Amino acid sequence: MRIKSKSKKSVLYGLTLLLSAGMVLSACGKNADNGGNTAASNSNTETSTEKPVELIWYTIGTPQKDVDKVMAEVNKYTSEKIGVTVKMNMLDWGDYDQKMKVMTASGEPMDIMFSASWAFDYVQNSRKGAFASLDELLQKEGKGITEVLDPAFLQGSKVDGHNYGIPANKELPAQEVWRFNKNLLDKYKLDIKGVGSLESLEPLLKTIKANEPTVTPFALDKNYVPYVPYDYIIQGLPMGVKLDSTDLKVVNVLETPEMKQALQTMRKYYKAGYVSAEAATTTSVSDLQTAGKWFLDRAATQPFADNAWSSSYGYPVVSTPASDSIIYNWSVMGSLQTISANSEHPDKAMAFLNLLNTDPYLRNLVDSGIEGVHYKKTADNRMENLADSKNYDMPTFSLGNIMLTYLNPSDPDNKWESFKEFNSAGKKAPTLGFNFDSSKVATELAAVQNVKEEFMSALYTGTVEPDEYLPKAVEKLNAAGFGKIIEEAQRQLDEWKAAQ
Amino acid sequence: MLKRRTRDFHQLSPVANALFHVIAASLAIIAVFPFLFVLIISFTDENTLARNGYRLIPEKWSVDAYHYIFQTGDSLLRSYGVTLFVTIVGTLISLCIITLYAYAISRKSFKYRGFFSFIAFFTMLFNGGLVPTYIVVTQLLDMKDSIWALIMPMAVNAFYIMIMRTFFSTMVPDAIIESGRIDGAGEFQTFIRLVLPLSLPGIATIALFSTLGYWNDWFNALLYIDNPDLVPLQSMLMRIENSMQFILQNSNNASLSSGILQNMPQDTSRMAMVVLATGPIILAYPFFQRYFVQGLTIGAVKE
Amino acid sequence: MLKTFFKDLIKNKAMLLMVLPGTIWFFFFSYLPMAGTVIAFKQYRYSRDGFLASILESKWVGLQNFKFLFSTSDAYIITRNTVLYNVVFIVLGLFFSVAMAVILSEIVNKRLSKLYQTGMFMPYFLSWVIVGYFVFSFLSTDRGVLNHILTSLGKDPVSWYSESTAWPYMLVLISLWKSIGYNSVVYLAAIMGIDKSLYEAAMIDGANKWQQIRSITVPMLTPLMTILTLLAIGRIFYADFGLFYQVPRDSGALYSVTNVIDTYVYRGLKTTGEIGMSTAAGLYQSFVGFVLIIASNAIVRKFNKDNALL
Repeated sequence: MRIKSKSKKSVLYGLTLLLSAGMVLSACGKNADNGGNTAASNSNTETSTEKPVELIWYTIGTPQKDVDKVMAEVNKYTSEKIGVTVKMNMLDWGDYDQKMKVMTASGEPMDIMFSASWAFDYVQNSRKGAFASLDELLQKEGKGITEVLDPAFLQGSKVDGHNYGIPANKELPAQEVWRFNKNLLDKYKLDIKGVGSLESLEPLLKTIKANEPTVTPFALDKNYVPYVPYDYIIQGLPMGVKLDSTDLKVVNVLETPEMKQALQTMRKYYKAGYVSAEAATTTSVSDLQTAGKWFLDRAATQPFADNAWSSSYGYPVVSTPASDSIIYNWSVMGSLQTISANSEHPDKAMAFLNLLNTDPYLRNLVDSGIEGVHYKKTADNRMENLADSKNYDMPTFSLGNIMLTYLNPSDPDNKWESFKEFNSAGKKAPTLGFNFDSSKVATELAAVQNVKEEFMSALYTGTVEPDEYLPKAVEKLNAAGFGKIIEEAQRQLDEWKAAQ
Repeated sequence: MLKRRTRDFHQLSPVANALFHVIAASLAIIAVFPFLFVLIISFTDENTLARNGYRLIPEKWSVDAYHYIFQTGDSLLRSYGVTLFVTIVGTLISLCIITLYAYAISRKSFKYRGFFSFIAFFTMLFNGGLVPTYIVVTQLLDMKDSIWALIMPMAVNAFYIMIMRTFFSTMVPDAIIESGRIDGAGEFQTFIRLVLPLSLPGIATIALFSTLGYWNDWFNALLYIDNPDLVPLQSMLMRIENSMQFILQNSNNASLSSGILQNMPQDTSRMAMVVLATGPIILAYPFFQRYFVQGLTIGAVKE
Repeated sequence: MLKTFFKDLIKNKAMLLMVLPGTIWFFFFSYLPMAGTVIAFKQYRYSRDGFLASILESKWVGLQNFKFLFSTSDAYIITRNTVLYNVVFIVLGLFFSVAMAVILSEIVNKRLSKLYQTGMFMPYFLSWVIVGYFVFSFLSTDRGVLNHILTSLGKDPVSWYSESTAWPYMLVLISLWKSIGYNSVVYLAAIMGIDKSLYEAAMIDGANKWQQIRSITVPMLTPLMTILTLLAIGRIFYADFGLFYQVPRDSGALYSVTNVIDTYVYRGLKTTGEIGMSTAAGLYQSFVGFVLIIASNAIVRKFNKDNALL
């Protein structure tokens, strides 16, 4: 007993000591490490002509097993061509935003990172200083990019007059469509030819409601916003400029006749049972879609989207336009690769991005993996996935110029031509290139966001009576300082316009 | 002999006992019921679920959800291993640090007990927030992508220290410690030989909490771990869940919705994740329960 | 003076050694990061030279970052909701956890008792998202169980997620349901640690079970109850985000009874992501908790010094 307790005691002592020593050591070790690192990187820059520079690349998507394997192949090519190797780190969709925020705020060493209007917000982080300005770099190392991209891409992704990211060459404008479950269209021999406005849906919805009690005629979730022809200054906040306006007047969209009418219509649909009773709190209608228990909804489209939807749901889906095709700031910022402000080698990073966006070999290597391992080529610009492609399945649109990528067996030959047509058909939104700086009204914005969340879903989905709740919402928004935000937006917009 | 006597006196009247049974049992059933549902839903066919909603006996059973998880998180077993290691090592380290600290500040003879109590207490209210902590862990302690980043940030919890301190000061009479001193034992010896056995229920409680804390932690891995081989179970499942949610919420993004949404059994696999994540750890509770035993009296320790 | 200090140190060396690992931990993982709280008074912008440079170069904004917490009429609602819910949770939670622990410890059949304990623990393992699912399957307007019952009784279905009256009760019930099992474990363990000879002595004096519970069990649990309550008071400005966000499905119509400080901050900063403002919110919550806890601790000290936290 005594011996045992003694040994226990010494174990405890030992553990304590070990722990404290470990902590001190790791702290010291880190310092020493740091010294070493800086020394190494210094010598790196000196000898950069011989030794390739390693770029740390963070991008979005479910981490793939074979990333390192493919990057090894990438490095063989790039080290020879531009003296660069890359280390790609993938962060999963749901983690990307949060983790990147923490990493940039703490000054983690990074070179290239993905950004967008919908993940790791491009405009906010440009303003906060997360990214390096690319104006000069584009001139020096990014000539290929400026040649490849539609000029609207670089114009629309300017923040305070500077470019901070390389937009992926993909669909440029945003166009809303009404999507229909074709099985039901066929069953009731409905025609979608004349369909366009929200109001024009009524006869179709009525038919479905009367005949298909288990189907949700109009599938929508809490993020649904009725389409009105306004260019929103901040995504999701009812403040914008009318699309065809020339005077760039910022208005409260809730008070516009278009929105009022849309809300009345939505209310009518809700009361008629076309909309799910829980629409205002539903985060996703994907269960309806898997079960095929919906008739129509609204979505953003791109060329050949109907095919993609049909194959992903397993039954035919067709669509018809619900809005014009407009180039918004946010649609331009759908996918960008940026260079970190603390990158040691911004020029090399730009050289890499330039190559990625112009060199078909590199682009397809990064996108589809190694030829003969992950895919096989079937024609000059066609490929077919091999079994191993499941270990390297990348989100194509996030990795730069998609128009260089090889076509899949199911893709039509004219896929990229159609994209180009789609892009050139887009009209520029009035505020394209203008981005609101919210730092002066951060307090008001936080309060307004809360009011917005309180009322908007219920109003937009028709869950509540607009005659009663719309005035309430407007009043509360104004009390929270919405007027001040609109004023500030107007001031900035006028300044921007004058500078054009 | 002693045992039988205590029973007789100690027992509740049959009526009260029955009443207690009813209360406890009904609460337990309410608590377990949703869990049962989770299990059933996880084995339900996704389409059937979308059509019929939750049902106790689904129209069609399916293991698709598990299939999907095993496929998406193909290193599931490895993740179990990481979690197991982190949980066991982490709990042991926590227990050592916490019990020692708590014991010291529970002793009236310790001159600086007030100071060290405050040191611990203060951290319960104020913390530096995410970014500063991240910097300390990654830049100062250099723990990024190391298993210690999953263990050390959670090793101490002032809340547990305060509970443990209360256990020590109420459950361990001063007389015992005095008797140890008279026997000539040092502080550590007294602590290990006399105090610990008396505080077993308290230690088991803290160990249980700590085990559950480590098992359920996913956030540290999200922050500190890039290496897929070091991702613990909860973190992997959380990653799948968060990403599923993210993609669904951004489903009006044309690029996202066209390719990635494919074949995602979301409701059922969400439930399957709960089953996979909690299945093993449910056994932890009965394990620690063994130490919630009565009967260690002062006499027993002295003998 | 210095000499007595060193003498004290040597006298307490064993104890000091015991607190050493914990103190080192607190230094690295709590006190060092605490310096970052200064962000609450800055408009935080990134510098390419790392975190310290970012802090130094960021602009001082005084109390500007705190303003959004008080700027609108919502300030009153979120404060009221947070505090009231917490008070109810503290009081009911304490009562039910202790009662449950006593019941479980008194049940004669120990095997069944353990089974009940394990069962009650289960909700702890369900995340709020999952709990929200089940609540929804009960309360959904068209497919919910509750409305099925109502309609079969000939009553009108209720649109639960836009009707706020019932929610305070539901949230309290759900919170208790989820936490009782976990919280009663501490008390159960404490009951198990009570010296049996005390009960034996009481029995010899002829005390019945109820008297024993009243005069031995409860008093022996008092220090623990006091400490846990004090600590809960310190967190009175914090709310369980999942309970108030996921369970009511973030329904705007219910904000008057579900919006709490944590959800308000989340919604307000979701788009701008100013760390300065989120740090400020945290500091505010901590500071109020600190003041309250020190005050209540002083009150506890007046009654019984041993039960106090500090």
